[in-house]
Formats: sequence, structure tokens, C-alpha cells
Amino acid sequence: MKILVAIKQVPERDAQISIAGDGRWIDESDLNYTINEPDAYALEEALQLKDKNGGEVVVLCAGPERVTSTLREALAKGADRAIHIEADDLGHRDTLGLAQVLAEAIKDESPDLILTGLQSDDLGLGQTGVVLAEILGMPHATIIMQVEVTGAGLKVKRELEDGWFQHVEMPLPALLTIQSGGNKLRYATLMGIKKAKTKEMKTVQAAAPAAGQTITLERVYLPEKQKKTEMLTGTPAEIAAKLVEKLKFEVRVI
Amino acid sequence: MYVARVGARPMGAAFISGMHLSATLAEPAHFSRLEIALLLVGMVVSTALFFWRFGPILRIIFRSRKDTDFSLHPVGKRVWDFFAEVLCQAKVIRQRPLPGLAHAFVFWGFLAFVLVTLNHIATPLGLSFLHPSSYAGRFYFIFAALWALLVAVAIAGLFVRRFLARPIWLGEKVSYESGVIALLIFLLMVSYLAAFFVAPDGAGIRAVWWTHTLTLLVFLPLIPHTKHLHLVLSPVTVFLKRNGFSKIPPLSGDEDFGLVTGRDVTQLISLQAYSCVECGRCTEHCPASNTGKVLNPKEIILGTRSYLNEFGPASETPLLTDTKIDSPDNPAAKYMSMEAAFECTTCGSCEFQCPVGIQHLPIIIGLRRGATNTGTWEDPHGTKLFLALEKNGNALGLSATERDKFIQKQGLPIFDGTQEYCLWLGCMGGYDPKGREIIADFARVMQHLGTTFGVLKKEKCTGDPARRLGNDLAFQSMAEFGLKALETAKVQKIVAICPHCVRTISNDWREYGVAPEIEHHSEFMARHKSLLPQQSSGESIVYHDPCYLGRYREVYEQPREIVSMAGDLVEAPRSHERSFCCGAGGGLAFLGEENGERVSHVRAAELAGTGAQIVGTACPFCNTMFRDTLSAMDGAPPQLLDIAQLTARALPQTQKAGEQ
Repeated sequence: MKILVAIKQVPERDAQISIAGDGRWIDESDLNYTINEPDAYALEEALQLKDKNGGEVVVLCAGPERVTSTLREALAKGADRAIHIEADDLGHRDTLGLAQVLAEAIKDESPDLILTGLQSDDLGLGQTGVVLAEILGMPHATIIMQVEVTGAGLKVKRELEDGWFQHVEMPLPALLTIQSGGNKLRYATLMGIKKAKTKEMKTVQAAAPAAGQTITLERVYLPEKQKKTEMLTGTPAEIAAKLVEKLKFEVRVI
Repeated sequence: MYVARVGARPMGAAFISGMHLSATLAEPAHFSRLEIALLLVGMVVSTALFFWRFGPILRIIFRSRKDTDFSLHPVGKRVWDFFAEVLCQAKVIRQRPLPGLAHAFVFWGFLAFVLVTLNHIATPLGLSFLHPSSYAGRFYFIFAALWALLVAVAIAGLFVRRFLARPIWLGEKVSYESGVIALLIFLLMVSYLAAFFVAPDGAGIRAVWWTHTLTLLVFLPLIPHTKHLHLVLSPVTVFLKRNGFSKIPPLSGDEDFGLVTGRDVTQLISLQAYSCVECGRCTEHCPASNTGKVLNPKEIILGTRSYLNEFGPASETPLLTDTKIDSPDNPAAKYMSMEAAFECTTCGSCEFQCPVGIQHLPIIIGLRRGATNTGTWEDPHGTKLFLALEKNGNALGLSATERDKFIQKQGLPIFDGTQEYCLWLGCMGGYDPKGREIIADFARVMQHLGTTFGVLKKEKCTGDPARRLGNDLAFQSMAEFGLKALETAKVQKIVAICPHCVRTISNDWREYGVAPEIEHHSEFMARHKSLLPQQSSGESIVYHDPCYLGRYREVYEQPREIVSMAGDLVEAPRSHERSFCCGAGGGLAFLGEENGERVSHVRAAELAGTGAQIVGTACPFCNTMFRDTLSAMDGAPPQLLDIAQLTARALPQTQKAGEQ
């Protein structure tokens, strides 16, 4: 089974973001980058499927030279090959444009399964995987928690709203966008890093963006901070129940 | 020729109460050809048997992988250690006075007997050099006789201890070989002394002489087969041991991930494994062994030896087995388990105690490296820790902005090159509520002293938990980040509240660069003692020696000076270099629930049992381990304060950092 994992490199969560001079992208100097979190889970899912069913895991990432470090890490964690699509202007390409670039880079690969994170930590559009599936003419499913290979097809578990899940059977080849937290991530090891040095990393050039993009980025800005205080009322038990609900669904920390 | 010398006349012979006691020992006056032939055959057979057994051991040691980082330098320290630990038996005696002294008498007696024994064998061959009739000979034989008496008494005492008193540290099984050896040593001494009581002519002396000789010939081949191999190996082991406490060797080349299989076992490790005398001092002081865990440091050493005996130093069989997953597959499963290796708190009691120069920590951490660097170790808590280090750069897995907020709230200055000290916060000081209190109080102490300091704008974990859990990748990235951050900020001097940070920065980082000089806040405060308020509250304070400050850094007195300033110092039953671990070290603070009893409970109960009003700590990890335990205690548990807090209590209240 050949599994392709499309990865994005994003600024670290703790990064102090500032806006670039032209107001149309963030200032990239002095930023540390890391793998997009849902993509880390997509990679983990691919590696576990490979552990169970055998096959090959190919990782794919578009971006400038710096993204090769994230690809190396993916190789260190167990991916077999990497494809680096060299592009310095990702901030100015829309989702369709990016998906076309990805599709072009993998046209000779004919994978059985493509995995991506369900969305990116920086832009959070959640469309790249879906649009890519559309371009490749593959069936897709989003927000996937579990994947099981059943003979010729797949059985997947989707996360819905409010604690509901949907179990779907689908044929292969297919594209899935993976939710964070479905698996336990593995840690990078010295042996993995050493092995990664000998693995293949292919670099391809991204084609120039097509004229007339569907979406153009006008302005990026930092969220305006606001402090909101809300008093919870009721008996201690009621207050506790409300607090738990708020922590779970509003603040999302538990 | 075969009658080398007409035997000694009974010169100065005296008769006391009818018994023939000579002022020198008797030797048979004449040896027949047959006797000489028998002696030569006996010597050849005995020596052959010795090498028949010792040869394979030497081969294993020499065929083990070379220690690429080994250097004899500094020789002076090696010679001194050899003098103190081998010749003076300092460690043997200091750490177990009575049996230690008994052992020392046997050892010194053996040294005294070297000449006697050589002369004994040389006599029938006509090569003797100590004549019972000469003044030198007479003097030496009487000198040796005194030692013979001491050895006989001492070995009898040790025999009683091993077979009648039977301390549990010697192991559950009684070693009959040890009994045989003890009897042989006793017989050697008695047969030597007997020669003072028999006439030099007649059957008596012949019987005595041959008893002594045969005992020697039987003794020799028994050595390599038993733990008495330490007679031969341990002086070498002590001389050659790695220079430095808990010294973790750098990995060499692209194929070295630590101790994975027999191929990774180095010559020093082999030598040390075969030197083990099975005294069990390591186990006696081990916090894991003492609280019902699988780990027994002695079994790690003996497991390595058994592995080498069965599989050899070229084997590809894994050294460790994960007993939870693949025990039946690995033929070495009976020797060492992954579970045991990861129960070590790296407190270093075993390595400190070992009288034959075995260095347990490079072995245990080496085994962990082998498991972690290859990804074989699968532990949800360990993985979480490593991912937290990868992602957040601190062991607590919190966002780095939390540290920024604390610095801002506390009003801690950022190091800009103008200040004297860089105050290293560490994970506990930067993120843990109690650690932050310690930092705040230590900052007040520094402000009181007028010492300028600043904190790094960005700081990551030193990599200590990764280092001790064998994750070289995470450790390297932490060390390189820290070294660069300190260099960029042009830091000259660092002070830290955490002994783990101090050890890792000053010692373990050397593999990747040179860090600025660093000291622990106990050392800093003790140096400025005269400028600090000398207001004893009169409360009794029991001081707990952190492993990484005491055994690792040999800082025992400075924190005590600080404690004595704040109140009345009380010593715990186990203190100084025998201090008992809090259970946090070796990355274990971040792993899951322990097997058996919690180490921290045992230690906290011991500290509280002194009746002291305050437990004084000098490590934020010890502090956090005792915090939960003490608060769960019945009655009125002692208060828990770091030495910085003890000092800050006496400062004028106006100088509260962050309130300026």
C-alpha cells in the first residue's frame, strides 16, 4: 500500500507573530517553524497503517528551503521518501492553486491513499485536501479519527459535532483529512535521524501561479485582544457543571 | 641442586610449657625429587586451570568494543584513587566499617603474604630469598605471622557474617564457593602459623608445608570461577574506571545508539562486569530496590556478565527485553529487562558505593540510550515528555509564553550583557508554581546582596531528563540551543536553583561545547554568607541532600551553612553521600506511577521522622516530590522550604521582587 502524506510547515505555536511591511503576510524572519499539528497525526496514521499492512509512505511538502527540515523529521519518524515542492510564495497562492501544485507533483505516484491534516494551524482553511481530492478525482472523507483497511477498501471514523461520530466505508484509492488526537504521536529518535540521511528527498519546482486566482489575500492582521469576564451562577454543583462545559467546548482546554 | 639448602636450624628455639615455639618458621630441611616433581606438576596444573578459566574472560574483555573516549589522563588522580581505594581500602572501610575493616585485614594480609608465598614455592626449587635464619627473614616471617592472625580472625568473622548473620544484600542464595574460599584462606593462615610450632625436622613440618602448598594450588584455579576474580581484576578496574561521576561516554559514529546488543558493550563495561564482587552495596542503597521495584543494580552488572558469558561481545542479541511485549522471543530475557532499566532515578548511590570501581550509571543510561535512541522504548509518559521537549522546549509541556508572563509579572530583568550573573530559571523555575516561588525568593536574595543579574529572554530545558532517559537527539538539540543562547547573550557566569540544570550545563553539555561557569544557588549564597541576615528562627530544619548536588557535585556543606543560619540544622538518618533519593531524578518525575512503594514517600517519612519543624531542600524537583507527600501526611507535617526561601524569610520585607 502506497500512502502519500501532504504536510505543511507552520510557525511554532508559541511564536510571536508580527505582520510584514506590506500588510499582506506575516513577517517570516526570526520565526521558528514546525510541522502543522494535524499533519503530524496524518503522518502517524500513515506510519501505523504501514506498520500493519506494509507498503510505502511518501511525504510531500510545498514551501521554501526551510520546509526540508520538516520533511527530514518526517523521514526520521519513519517515512520512506520525501518530495519537496519548491515555492517561496505560498502565502499568495489560494487553495486551488496550491492543490494544483500538489497534484502536479504527484501525478506519477499513483498512491492508494492520500492523507493530510484536516486543516492548517496558520490559515485554518481546511480545504487543501478536499480540493486535491477533487482535482485527482478521488473520493474523500474529512475529520477522520480512525482508519482501518478492509480488503480493497477502507473503514473510517469521522468526527461530527457534539460528540457524534460517523462510520463510513469507502473504496480505494481515496483521500482522508485527519483530525488531531486520534493516535499517539511517536518521538523522533537518533536512529531515525541517521537513517533519514540516506533516504531520498526529491525536489520539484512549483509551476508559476495561474493568472486569475479565485481568492486574493487583501490584508492579514493580529486578532484584537478582548478580555471577557462572565460570572457563573447557581449551586456549586451547577457552577461546576457549567464550568466544565465551558472549559470543554468554549475554551477547549479539557 | 634439588637439595637447595640445608634447612634452618632451630635457632633461637624455645620451649614454652613443653610446646615447641620457634621465633621463626620452620621449613622442611630436605625435598625429595618426587616432592619437587609433584610441586612442579601441581603448579603447572593449578596455573593451567587458572588460565583455562581466566583466558575466556580475558578474551571477552579484549574482544569487547573499544572505549573510544578513554584516556588515562589525569594519571595523578588514577594513582591517588588506586592508593586510596585499593591499597588503603578507604571506601570499603568507610561505607561498611566492620566488614570493611575485616576485608581490609584480609587484603593487607594478602599483600604481606606475596613475598611469603613466592618464597614458599621457591624454597624447594632452591630459589628462596627469605631465609628463616636471617634477620630479615626472621623479621618478615613474624611480621607476616601477625597478619596471618589478623586474616584468620577477619576471614572467620566474614564467614560468620555471610553464613550465619546473612545480610540480605549478599543475595538470597548462599554462595557455597565463598565458604570454600573462606575455608581455604583460613587454612592458608593456619598452615602458615603452624610452621612456627613444629620442629624443622620430622613429619610435622612436611605435613604443614604440603598443606599450605596444596591449599595454594587449589585456591588459584578457584579465583576466576568465582566472585574472587575481583582479586585479580578490581585493582585494574579501579585504576582504569572512567574519569568522573556518572560519566556518559559520547556516541561514536553513525551506528552507535548506546547499549543495544553485545556489540555495543565496551571493554570498560566488560571489565567492570567481571570485577563485581557481589557485595550488594549498590542494592543496599538503591532507591528502586528499597521500594519494591524490579531494578536491582547488582543484577544489571551480573546480568551483563551472564549475557557476555552466554552470548559474547559480538552477539546481536538485544541486551534488554521489554518484559511486557516480547519476553519469549529474546533469549537474553532472563538477564535484563527494560522495565528495570527505566526504574533508575540515576541517584548514583550504586556507583558511589561500589568498592571495585564499577560505574553503574554509564551502563544503565547506556541501556536506556539503546532503547530510546532506536525507538524501542515505548512509554506513553516518556513519549509525552520527549514530544514536549521537541515542541515546547520545556519538560512540563507548557507554552514558552508562560515563562515570558512569569518574567514580566515578577519583574525579572532580561540579561543584556551588563549584569554579572545570568539567572538560569530551568523548567521548574520558569513554569512550576513552587519553583517560581524559589526563583522569586532567590532573586530577592541577589537584590539584597546588590548582585546584578538577568534572565535569558528565551531558554529551553537543559535536556537533563532526555539525557538520563537516553534520548540523545532531544538532549543534543537542547544542549546546542542552550549553548548558543548563552553565547549570543555573552553570559559569563550562571547561577541556578536546580542541581540538575547545574550538572547538565557544567558537565553533560561539554559534548557539544563550552558553557559559561555555573554554580548552584547554595554555593552562591554560602560565598556571600557574611552579607546575609544571620537571624536564626530557632526552628529545627532537616536538610535533604539532593543527589545531583551531593554525590554528583560534592556540595554538602554550603547548603548546610545556609540552613544553619536560618535555624537549627538536623541531620536525617541517611545524609551527605548516603542521602536517599526523592524519586524524581533520571526523568522519573515525568514518568507514570511507580511500582511498589513511592520513593518520595519513604524519604519524606524519614525526613519527617526526625521531628524537625522544617524540611530544607536545595532542588526544585525534590521539593515538588515532597510537597505532595508531606501535605498528605497525618498530624502536623513539617513545613517545606528551599534554602533560598529560608534565607529570604529573614530579609527586610520591602525588597520583594516584582513589587518595586
